[in-house]
Amino acid sequence: MKTLVSILIMALAMSACSPKDERTHVTVQRIFGECRANVPRDQAPLRNPDGECEILTSLIDQFQRENPDIDLTVNIVAWPGYDQLSAQYAAGDPPDVVSIHMSSMPDYQSRGLILPLTAELAQVGVTADKFTPAARQGVTIKEQVYGLPFDNWTPLWHINTGLFAKAGLMKDGEPILPRTPEDLLAQARQFKAATGKPYLVQSMINERAAYTRNLYTYLMNQRAAFFEDPKHIRLNTPEARRIVALFKQIYDENLTTKDQDYSSATQGFMNGQGGVYLVGTWMIGAYQAEANTPGRPLYKSYTVKPYPMLFGPERAAYVDGHAWVVSNRKRTPQQDEAVRRFLKFLYDHNYDWSRTGHLPTVQAVAQSPQYLSLPHRRDIVALSEIGRTLPSEVQRQFAIQDIIGDELFSAIAGHKPIEQALTDAETRTNDLLFHLL
Amino acid sequence: MLSAKAKTQFGNFLFVAPYMFVFAWLLVWPLMSGMGLSLFKADLFGGATFVGLENYGRLMSDPVFLQAVGNTFLFVLLCVPPLAIIPLILALLLNRSTRTAAFFRGVFFSSSVLSVTIVTLIWRMVLIPDGGFFANILAVFGLPPIPFFSDPGIVMGSMAIITVWWCLGLPMMLYLSALQQVPQDIYEAAALDNSRWWTTLTRITLPSISRTVVLVVIMQCVLQFQLFGQPQLITQGGPNGASRPIVLFIFEVGFRRWDIGYAAAASQILFAIILLVTLGQYLITRKRTGDA
Repeated sequence: MKTLVSILIMALAMSACSPKDERTHVTVQRIFGECRANVPRDQAPLRNPDGECEILTSLIDQFQRENPDIDLTVNIVAWPGYDQLSAQYAAGDPPDVVSIHMSSMPDYQSRGLILPLTAELAQVGVTADKFTPAARQGVTIKEQVYGLPFDNWTPLWHINTGLFAKAGLMKDGEPILPRTPEDLLAQARQFKAATGKPYLVQSMINERAAYTRNLYTYLMNQRAAFFEDPKHIRLNTPEARRIVALFKQIYDENLTTKDQDYSSATQGFMNGQGGVYLVGTWMIGAYQAEANTPGRPLYKSYTVKPYPMLFGPERAAYVDGHAWVVSNRKRTPQQDEAVRRFLKFLYDHNYDWSRTGHLPTVQAVAQSPQYLSLPHRRDIVALSEIGRTLPSEVQRQFAIQDIIGDELFSAIAGHKPIEQALTDAETRTNDLLFHLL
Repeated sequence: MLSAKAKTQFGNFLFVAPYMFVFAWLLVWPLMSGMGLSLFKADLFGGATFVGLENYGRLMSDPVFLQAVGNTFLFVLLCVPPLAIIPLILALLLNRSTRTAAFFRGVFFSSSVLSVTIVTLIWRMVLIPDGGFFANILAVFGLPPIPFFSDPGIVMGSMAIITVWWCLGLPMMLYLSALQQVPQDIYEAAALDNSRWWTTLTRITLPSISRTVVLVVIMQCVLQFQLFGQPQLITQGGPNGASRPIVLFIFEVGFRRWDIGYAAAASQILFAIILLVTLGQYLITRKRTGDA
């Protein structure tokens, strides 16, 4: 027995003698899902090579390969990841680097939870003038860059050109897009008469963000200054009423799909249930793959365009984006250096990420033949110039988006008069902003 | 100096001390902290400002919160009676020692072991008007789909259907265990008296399990007042706020808006509602039992 105990103690002592890990440890937290099964370590993805998760997993593997002195611990959190991140900050143990939406940056910046990166990025040769205008605006707060912009995204018009052709809405191989609200209604009626299908495909159940983004884009299109200052929104305006009235008219005339949630709408468009699906840049890859597959309803019948400017001459689009921010926490100089190298690596691989369909944030990438030769990118690249985020000091943009979307759906579906819904959205948003700490 | 009796009593206290410590640490302290927090304007990252009862005043004039309170009561009214009655019927039918009964006991309990995510996924496929199971059946008869999730007048009923399906296993088991404790000789005596089925049920069975009925009703009230996962996953509280219960309101305010003082005040109101309803039921049923 004594021998056995001695052997056990010796084994324990030996196991404690492993060589000291000299690598610099950095924690990275990201969304975009878990797909290790698709991406064996240090191999090309087995499938869906242009997926967000696959690209990012491959990039992080590559960084680890090229930087053996750095050990990245990667936390993958469910979208959007803010409940977990806030809890980590509250507990004093946030990740070193984290991917967040540009629209959420003011929340963390205002509480001093993330660091200004202007000087840090400059040390590795990354300066704000190298970003696209939309990206630069999205990560700049009070003239300081608070994150490395990774992409911009925005809702787009994903179009079934086969159904458009059937409805006589194609010219020289391009879809004819409406120029005014009246144009849109006329086209939608023509489309429905010719195809028997609704013109728009929209996710309406369990969906709040889409209406808000539509509203923002068309308010910008009318040059409406709906945020007079970061603490006040103005929504019950003629410009907003015009937009909501258009979407309500479309709903009332059954020119849109109804009662679909996000997955039904996404699948529905893929199966040819309607002409135009209002959804973001991230679906380009999946729909293009359908368009390349013989026998599928979208085969050779897909294109994508920015929102047509219906209400005025101003070319504008509401955009958001993903950015990498650095937590305000204690780090060694080696860890700071590792963080800088990681951010520079991501900056250098902005093209790889843009294969997802998202807009690049590096001007040189946006102008590169490599990027512009990807499907449909020439049609949408202008959005990285004209796209605009909300004013950079507006906090709680996710919560505001939910409130406005809630009220807009009530108006569009006829549960509330338009004026009342817009007044309620305005009151609820201003109440939220008034009570910020 | 402690007397011998006091020493013994103190020694006895040591047996429950570990539990009392954990109870106080994980339940009493957070409860008190929440009450304190409700008097502050605060977010998750410190810097709270004392505002007294202002958060409660805001809640009383917040139409979204008041609608959430109404929704929650409606949901409890829609859910608790079926959750008290359907499991009772099932328990009465399955309270026998056959293999078929054992099989169906397992079948009816099986839904209770699923997580809310699985339950909502299943019911989304059943109820969604666009290609859902129910819509397809209606389509066979040429009928339009029912907007289970997008009509404010229907959506809480949909949540209740989902919840009843999900939650009926546990009350059924409680009823079964109560039924199996009713002495068989009473039934034998009733059979000798040629008592009819209905008379046996109302004069023997139900009075014998009345405490379990009260337990089920109180337990279901407490549970269903805390509705959260189903509307969070299926409707996010829509349409027009018609499926937003109090807990979802608390979640939105606390985690989306970071207004945790306000969320804590809403939590205290929910706590008070559950406490009052539970106490009310307990007192009424105790009085009735006393009268009897």
